[in-house]
Amino acid sequence: MTLTALVLGPIVAGLLVYAIPRRQWPLATALAATVAGLTFVLAVADPHAADASARWLSRPFAAAFHLGFGPVSYWIVLLLALCTFGGALAIRGHRGRDVAAQLLMLQGAMNGVFLAKDMLLFALFWDLMLIPVFLVLVQSSPHPRVAWKYLIYNLCGGLALLLATAAFGVVAGTTDVIGNPAAQPGIGTAWGLWIFAGFAFAFLIKTPVFPFHTWMPDTYAELPPPVVASVSAVQSKAGLYGFLVIGLPFLAPEMAQARTLMMVLGSVALIYGALAALAERDAKRVVAYSSLSHLGLILIAVFSGSPLALAGAVVYIVAHGLFSGALFLVLGAVEQREETRDLARLGGLGRRNPKLAGALMLGALAALGLPGLAGFSGEILILTGIFKAGFVWPALVALVAIVLASAYMLRLFQDMMNGPEVPDLPERRDLTWTEGIAVAPLVAGFVLLGVNPGLVVGMLTEAARAAGH
Amino acid sequence: MPPAISLPASADYAALLPAFVVALVPLLILFVDLFYRESGPWRRVVAAGLAIVWLIVAGVLQGLQYPHDYAAFGGAFVQGGFSIVFSEIVIVATIATLLLSLGVGRDDQVAGTTALLLWGASGAMLMAGAANLMTVFLGLELLSLALYCLCAMSKRQTARESAIKYLILSSMASGFLLYGSALLFGATGSVQFSALATAAVTPLLALGAGLFLVGLAFKLSLVPFHAWTPDVYEGAPLPITAFMSVATKAGTLAVLARFAYAALPSGHREAILLPLWVLAALSMLVGNLGALAQTDMKRLLAYSGIAQLGYIVVALAGTTALGLRYALLYLAGYTFMNLGAFAVVALMSRDGDAVVALPRFAGLAHRRPWLAAAMTLFLIGLAGLPPTIGFTGKILILAASVGAGYAWLGGVLIVGTAISAYVYFKIVRVMFARVDPAHVRDERSGNPLPWIAVGVCAVATFVLGLVPFTPSNVLPLVK
Repeated sequence: MTLTALVLGPIVAGLLVYAIPRRQWPLATALAATVAGLTFVLAVADPHAADASARWLSRPFAAAFHLGFGPVSYWIVLLLALCTFGGALAIRGHRGRDVAAQLLMLQGAMNGVFLAKDMLLFALFWDLMLIPVFLVLVQSSPHPRVAWKYLIYNLCGGLALLLATAAFGVVAGTTDVIGNPAAQPGIGTAWGLWIFAGFAFAFLIKTPVFPFHTWMPDTYAELPPPVVASVSAVQSKAGLYGFLVIGLPFLAPEMAQARTLMMVLGSVALIYGALAALAERDAKRVVAYSSLSHLGLILIAVFSGSPLALAGAVVYIVAHGLFSGALFLVLGAVEQREETRDLARLGGLGRRNPKLAGALMLGALAALGLPGLAGFSGEILILTGIFKAGFVWPALVALVAIVLASAYMLRLFQDMMNGPEVPDLPERRDLTWTEGIAVAPLVAGFVLLGVNPGLVVGMLTEAARAAGH
Repeated sequence: MPPAISLPASADYAALLPAFVVALVPLLILFVDLFYRESGPWRRVVAAGLAIVWLIVAGVLQGLQYPHDYAAFGGAFVQGGFSIVFSEIVIVATIATLLLSLGVGRDDQVAGTTALLLWGASGAMLMAGAANLMTVFLGLELLSLALYCLCAMSKRQTARESAIKYLILSSMASGFLLYGSALLFGATGSVQFSALATAAVTPLLALGAGLFLVGLAFKLSLVPFHAWTPDVYEGAPLPITAFMSVATKAGTLAVLARFAYAALPSGHREAILLPLWVLAALSMLVGNLGALAQTDMKRLLAYSGIAQLGYIVVALAGTTALGLRYALLYLAGYTFMNLGAFAVVALMSRDGDAVVALPRFAGLAHRRPWLAAAMTLFLIGLAGLPPTIGFTGKILILAASVGAGYAWLGGVLIVGTAISAYVYFKIVRVMFARVDPAHVRDERSGNPLPWIAVGVCAVATFVLGLVPFTPSNVLPLVK
């Protein structure tokens, strides 16, 4: 019941939001925030919810509408609820109602991706989550090109995923396997590599990883801040999550075969993302490229095969979601005030907006890996893990990227908050109460996770122990 | 020894009863219409109402026969799960066409067009169960002759062009089919599909089968026999276009499937059918590429239909029983999605038959949200995205093609689908993008009945995706 509500609740609520007149957008955002808050409470209250399952197909392979919590997905669902909550509160303006509706539907669809225990259902929600983002882009962006880029890239990935899922189903006889280590269907070597290629293509595009990343900075820059928080924090994790729950358990030999390639791609993403973030003048794009860099690190961790690095990857997935969500919300607040994201045109905001500056500082510090905040916990686990597993050069690349992260994150803060005040900027207000409430849970999350990463890791080790590893 | 001739039993007629009902009701409609001296809305309502009531009766009669498999008239017409599903699809398409056509054409023509439509439908229903070469031809011509006239039933200048084009090209296709039939008969001495399957393979038989398939590919508008489709669809009245895009395809597909599964010697089946799979692959690519550039909705849906038929033929690749079931499932899904899209288009023109170009959809989501929502669902379905039968059907077709050893066709299907995303989402984008209302012509249909079609199709598109029902008793196809 809990799980069905987590998936269908936001989708139905999203459709209901459309019934609210456009003028009354504050009501729509309030409803969206309430629903998101309720999903959070629901997930916290019932962490051991029983799986919900109903048969879908019996031929040509078994498939089910099967939802369940996993040691990774539980945290992502919580993270998504926080991001949606914050996003809903950050919605402003006459397009607010439509954004609120699509934000909720996006939450439902993404909950579906992470809660799906059946690969076909996973693929269903994977494709479904494209639609709200496409619609938001169409409505909010003056450039149709960006919406197309998002849709075509991600749909190509989605279709590859579909083909791979069909092939997996035919070979294994069932797709109802996610999170069920006992069901180890033997995928022959002849098929394994093709199936893995299909999955990997989809996951790499979604993450995204260099060279499939070009849709990402444009999309992030054009999406309204409330939606980009969810997309960057959670949707970008769907690919990595896929590697964790589909790749590692069921296609392990293929994962090992692809290890070097993925490590190279991850390393390139790490450095390329960091350098691009350094060169970028658009504040949102700086954070977008920093995501590219951070996610490259997680990719390396996932493919390293080291349990320590894997635990780090999961921590970092949640941590990155928390701080990138917070960063995008804060940047959105700035953009709303100053009507620009151009770092060259911003400056000196910190003097009159101490709360805004503080929030941005916390987010930036978490992103650059300051000890005590969540980014550090993830990074240190990953670095130790991959170093111990014998992957010295990726660890060194990651170290360089982490140094660069300090540079671009501090530059972002410096250009926006410090320096002389730019005279021709519109009127300035500090962070309002609503905006504060939107960002606070995410900030609290990454502080908590920074102090106690065992929170996330504990569930993982528990699951591993239960599985008998 | 001369073949034993048995007289038809009453059960033989029972199997054909639904098709008979659909074929005889037009006489009643034409008779009733004689009593109208003046034109008026009632004249339309009575004709369409009578037709719809009797179509529903025929559909129920058809459904009652579902559990039974019966070969009527010595195997010329085989009634079973397979033919019943196809016939029901034809009936649904015909009812939808009637709902769409209430505002189209002159009042004094309506009885005639309704009669022609029903005769065409009965032809398609005959094709659904046809298991010998003669029955196939009979059904096909009954359907085609009705459509030649129906295509011309529009005030538009292009309607006559469309009708002539359809007449000439379709006759040529019929010629291919008939010549192929003659060769098959010459090679085997029988017109029964079941006899063809056991005959020795000779070059004559292969040639006959090839020509027969060319004829069918023409009617299905598989590439490279597709060029007539956009022009004919564009010129024909909108409801007739909707009918052609579904009922004609269903009837022809039934013949194609039965021929592919049951009329070819099993040892050589794959070799003979290989060109057909190539045509399917070409259709998926060319259809979607062709649709990219279209702005007229009818032309766009024509190209999209070419590609969709390609997807359905992919399900038949390898001629597996499961593949046949998924072809039926996807055809049913395509029926609802496509008819739904046509019904939306019909609701956007005052007389239900105007040219509806892409710019007319601008900002539809803000002006008529329900219509836009329904259209989005149909387009998402046609693009193969969830939560629709388009998604479920496509994954099942993929699984069938991979399972049958035709993974390459699955790959082409994926590429075609990727291209089609732009086609369908182009419309979604236009509907949802912000526009200045002053620049948009907001035309509404005076006929609200297409809303029924929109509602039913939307529900079916969604529900079939969650509960992909396929009849299990589709085989054997001949007796």
